[in-house]
Amino acid sequence: MSFTILFWLVLTLTWPLMLVGMTTCTATRAWGCRLSPWAAVPAVILAVFIGPSETFYFSWLLLGTELGLDDTGHIFLLLTALLWWLAAVYAKGYLPLIEQARFFSFFNVAMLGNVGLILAQDMLSFYLFFTLMSFASYGLVVHERHAAASYAGKIYIILVIVGEVALFAALAWAAVIAETLSFEFARPVIAQSSLLDWVISLALIGFGIKAGVIILHVWLPLAHPVAPTPASAVLSGSMIKAGLLGWLKLLPLGEALMHSWGGLFITLGLIAAFYAVAVGLMQHDAKTLLAYSSISQMGVLTAAVGLGLMVPAAWPGILATILVYTLHHGLAKGSLFLGVGVLGKCSGHWRRLAWVGLWLPALALAGAPFTSGMVAKTLLKMQTLHAPDIWSAVFQTLLPCSAIATALLLGKFLFMLSQPVSTRKTEPLSVPTLMVPWVVLLMLVASLPWWPLASETDLWSGDILLDSLWPVMLAGLIMLVSVTRNQWLPRRFAINSPTFGGQIFSLRIPPGDILAPIEWIIHYILNGARRLCCDELPHRYQSLQSFLQRIRTTIEWQHLIERLEWQLCRWPTALMGFLVLGLILGWGKMSF
Amino acid sequence: MIWQSSLPLLVLCSSLLPGLIIFALPESSVRIRTTLNLFGAVTKLALVAWMVWDVYQGHQFETRLQFLPNLDFTLQMGPLSVLFVTLSALLWLVTTIYAIGYLEGSPHRSRFFGFFSLCVTATAGVAMAGNLLTFLLFYEMLTLVTYPLVVHRGTEAARQAGHTYLRYTLPGGVLLLIGTVWLYTVTGTLEFTSRGFLQTVDESQHPALIAIFFLLVMGFGVKAALIPLHGWLPQAMVAPAPVSALLHAVAVVKAGAFGVIRIVYDVYGAEFASQLGVTQPLAILAAITILYGSLRALFQDDLKRRLAYSTISQVSYITLGVAIVGPIATIGGLVHLVHQGLMKITLFFCAGNLAETLGIHKISEMRGVGKRMPLTMAAFTVGALGMIGIPPIAGFISKWYLGLGALEVGQSWVVLVLIASTLLNAAYFLPVLYIVWFCEPDHPWCENRHFDNSETNWTLLLPALATAGMAVAAGLLASLPYTPLEWVRFITHNQFYQ
Repeated sequence: MSFTILFWLVLTLTWPLMLVGMTTCTATRAWGCRLSPWAAVPAVILAVFIGPSETFYFSWLLLGTELGLDDTGHIFLLLTALLWWLAAVYAKGYLPLIEQARFFSFFNVAMLGNVGLILAQDMLSFYLFFTLMSFASYGLVVHERHAAASYAGKIYIILVIVGEVALFAALAWAAVIAETLSFEFARPVIAQSSLLDWVISLALIGFGIKAGVIILHVWLPLAHPVAPTPASAVLSGSMIKAGLLGWLKLLPLGEALMHSWGGLFITLGLIAAFYAVAVGLMQHDAKTLLAYSSISQMGVLTAAVGLGLMVPAAWPGILATILVYTLHHGLAKGSLFLGVGVLGKCSGHWRRLAWVGLWLPALALAGAPFTSGMVAKTLLKMQTLHAPDIWSAVFQTLLPCSAIATALLLGKFLFMLSQPVSTRKTEPLSVPTLMVPWVVLLMLVASLPWWPLASETDLWSGDILLDSLWPVMLAGLIMLVSVTRNQWLPRRFAINSPTFGGQIFSLRIPPGDILAPIEWIIHYILNGARRLCCDELPHRYQSLQSFLQRIRTTIEWQHLIERLEWQLCRWPTALMGFLVLGLILGWGKMSF
Repeated sequence: MIWQSSLPLLVLCSSLLPGLIIFALPESSVRIRTTLNLFGAVTKLALVAWMVWDVYQGHQFETRLQFLPNLDFTLQMGPLSVLFVTLSALLWLVTTIYAIGYLEGSPHRSRFFGFFSLCVTATAGVAMAGNLLTFLLFYEMLTLVTYPLVVHRGTEAARQAGHTYLRYTLPGGVLLLIGTVWLYTVTGTLEFTSRGFLQTVDESQHPALIAIFFLLVMGFGVKAALIPLHGWLPQAMVAPAPVSALLHAVAVVKAGAFGVIRIVYDVYGAEFASQLGVTQPLAILAAITILYGSLRALFQDDLKRRLAYSTISQVSYITLGVAIVGPIATIGGLVHLVHQGLMKITLFFCAGNLAETLGIHKISEMRGVGKRMPLTMAAFTVGALGMIGIPPIAGFISKWYLGLGALEVGQSWVVLVLIASTLLNAAYFLPVLYIVWFCEPDHPWCENRHFDNSETNWTLLLPALATAGMAVAAGLLASLPYTPLEWVRFITHNQFYQ
């Protein structure tokens, strides 16, 4: 048995690597592209048929590598493997043949990284896979090669590097404290350490960039939409979860009570949950809007992690909830992104059908009854009852509000897509290859509530159904009002704005929201520095030089020295000087 | 055993004799010269490999010749020497192959390869020197035999660079000589001893020891390009690519860094040095150099110039690791001696390939070159990412140990320096990679030479790929026996725990 697991474990990591080799070599490129959709298959087999396993130690790899699949990793691997597999099949139909080799090279390396970091049980191999994923995704972000992609890529890579160094410091600190590289043994030691704050704050930054924590989220609405659709799906559905998994692996959750850190995580998470929706409502591109929705949903998960920091005793339950939520959000978000791509590539009857299909993951994200969203949100709400003092009330009020907000955001998303896109060149339709993976994903989303994950509690009571229904209904009502407002409002109140966004909010916020002012400030500072170095300093230097030059030329040094010499040469001066010197020496001798 | 005691001498001769014979060869006898070169390099590598195995078993090799009264000419093979000798022997072989391809058809090759061999002889001597005097001899020899290599092209710029090189290194040598003589008058011995030989010196002499330390560090700092003594290095990059590669990765710069290592560990002893309070200023100086070098590299458009400033920054990682004083930081510093060599030589090989094949010298001319020379640029990418410290490339291992070592002894500011350096490294290497891989070429390539099917001459390509492969292997398989990391752990174990 152990050998079988080892075999699949190794194959999970080596098979994509082999495919990358094939797609980069000219001779085997065609075969590489043909096989690439199946790169994730060993991972899927590992996740679905084999499940949690013991840890294997490879002493020769890096500084000793531990690979294995724990219970948390199992759920993450399930999501990751399925999503990457379906996205890869989708990509095969989505991208033109000549771009596929380039795309799949980056895609498979990123997949290797994403799967590997789930299997990694020690810090260095985790860091290795995390880095592989981050850097390879750059190729996915800039794949389209237009100006927006380059810009998004630039912002993305800058934040990746910042995240890398923060993570490096966090892991180094953790390794020094714990004197081990294994996460499992490190967590309890870190929990007892006085340097804990360093590890947590650096992990918050390092993983927060990946997970889209507020302020660090600016790359996300730029990069996720510009990538080709299958890449957006895995970026937003799966890779974004790597940051969350990092927290689960490194932070001493359930080991120590960290009230203030918990408060910070919850605050940041809840702010993100609402702020991202607010900004997302002012977006006019479907994929950007979905990216904002991801930030908002990751905010909820960040808050859940904060809850775990605050209530270590309830951690097992919170962890289970986080896992369900992760699975739910990853699958739903992935299918929304893939659906956008399907919609963009078909027309007429197919398009209408696909639009109806999008309702399912949208409703699931909003937490409508009988969907995975309802299960996830209800579980989370039950866990928040453990929160101390005011926090419980905060959660109980804000979580339904967040559901309303999400429903509103997705309502706008569906409305935007309902309007026929006029000028879009229709490419040779490869609808079946796009449809099949998408429909499979939709089926997964639909069946998620009945997966054996959270079956121990009774989730199907009337109260819960009602609880999950009203936010969606309320949001639907708001939507209905605002969409049809022009029809029933008196003429003079009507706003003749062409877009729906213009009707609710006349504001538009560029993707990346706070990035614009930040960029302006950085630009200002850099410009100042450049002026200082290129204009000011040389100018100062020049004036100093001309000053020295003036001294050299105006005073006739040579003449002065000549006169001094002439004076010295005269007998009286020389004698006088000799006498003075002798006196000084004599005095010096006497005094010692 | 006579055989064992003459082994270090044989290692020296394996490059000295071919070098001397090559001087006598006429320019046209390419085949004999190539054979001699390769024979020397392979012989040296074989001898070194044998010694590596034996030293790992705990043997020590020593050649001792009468030189001055009370001062012998000593060649010694301890673990630390082996580290540097192996690096130089390995990279000498690779660089020789590269240089043969690089200089194909150009004039004065006998002169070049002659001095090239002498340069490696001197480096091996520096590595194996058993006392400070022997060290000094080879160190000065290195200065002198490198000069003809730097000015090899004979252009005005090359001569200028040669002048600058001598103006910096000769006074540096003088400082070293003064320091060494002073040290001898204080202690009466110059033999390198593990954990130093100065602990027994009388307390009243400590100020003198501090002054000597700084004299010696300044002397070595010239070659190790510690700020503000680094001025010669960016200019010396006018030398042909194999020379730059060897200069930056193995010979001159590393000899300086190795000198600092010897001073701290085998003359003063790490713990004694930190008691004297001389390591902290050294660490700060190294940190400033790291940041300053990277900052300057940011603004260079000339590829080799940018690499040169990067060397200034990266070599100071070694000094920093040594100056932090602690077993783990020591591992980081020492292992970077090898890791930086592997990565930097790769980068210089690639820069040379670009110049030789397409006449590209500037970064702004490299747009889209990844499509024309994919393998070269893949090697370049490995080197560049390694310099930033991206796993699994060797540079990451060094950085990890440096960071860990600094935190272990409570010097957390070093981590800040490492972070800043990583960011700066990324800022000057990643745009190059972007230009190479993600931009389209804006004009047709001007092909200097023609190679049917392959992107460039295989003698230029293979060395770059080999060193890039080694850089990845040294990181990914860091825990296997006989990797640089394992060897350095072995050294550190002797230095700190015995």
